[in-house]
Amino acid sequence: MNITLKYFSWIRVKLKKSHDLIELNQSISFKELKNNLISKDPLYNEIFEDKSVKYFLNLKEIDNENQILNNGDILAFLPPVTGG
Amino acid sequence: MIKIINESFDLETEFNSASSYINGAYSFFLGTVRSDLSSSNKKIKGIYLECYEELALAQLKKIRSKALNNWKLNECLIIHRVGKLNIGEKIVLVITASSHRANAIEACEFVIDSLKIDVAFWKFHLLNNDQKEMVLQKYLDNEKMLKWKDIIS
Repeated sequence: MNITLKYFSWIRVKLKKSHDLIELNQSISFKELKNNLISKDPLYNEIFEDKSVKYFLNLKEIDNENQILNNGDILAFLPPVTGG
Repeated sequence: MIKIINESFDLETEFNSASSYINGAYSFFLGTVRSDLSSSNKKIKGIYLECYEELALAQLKKIRSKALNNWKLNECLIIHRVGKLNIGEKIVLVITASSHRANAIEACEFVIDSLKIDVAFWKFHLLNNDQKEMVLQKYLDNEKMLKWKDIIS
């Protein structure tokens, strides 16, 4: 199964990419994905430690770390917004 | 009407698209690129606006719907630009239309206050060396939203 990760603002700059396609053998929780990403690249630790960052799964904010991610899902990493 | 666009827009054209004989009042908010200073106190040459368009459109739709319902507006138009913008260029336009001025004015303030803290746009200063510097969210913008907490909840 595939999950698309989208990065914005300083997260995009820090990771030097705007998106990732993650291939997995089975569905995992958001919390498990976080741990996987941190183990692969310590830059993710800095992102996940920043409490101002919000995570949106298929355009809805994640409010439970145990939420399951499924094939085709889009997970977006959003720093505080500054439009207008 | 909601639009997220790269190119500039014409105020008269947008007003005409929002206007109707049933309205007696319109309120406008126009945000433009200010001649600002970077963190190193140097004049910026413009801004760059990043957007998560699918999410921003959904968030703007919710804000517009709240404004239409709470203030009984006849129309609420929101335009936000993305990409590179020079000093003085138009960034964002909100037009609210209603029978009487009080509703139009208050709703317009609600829409722009909400947009500032709740819609997926990110601003960068464009520096003279072609580098980008992230603009931080202002504490006051969050404070201002408390005014609308009864409407948001």
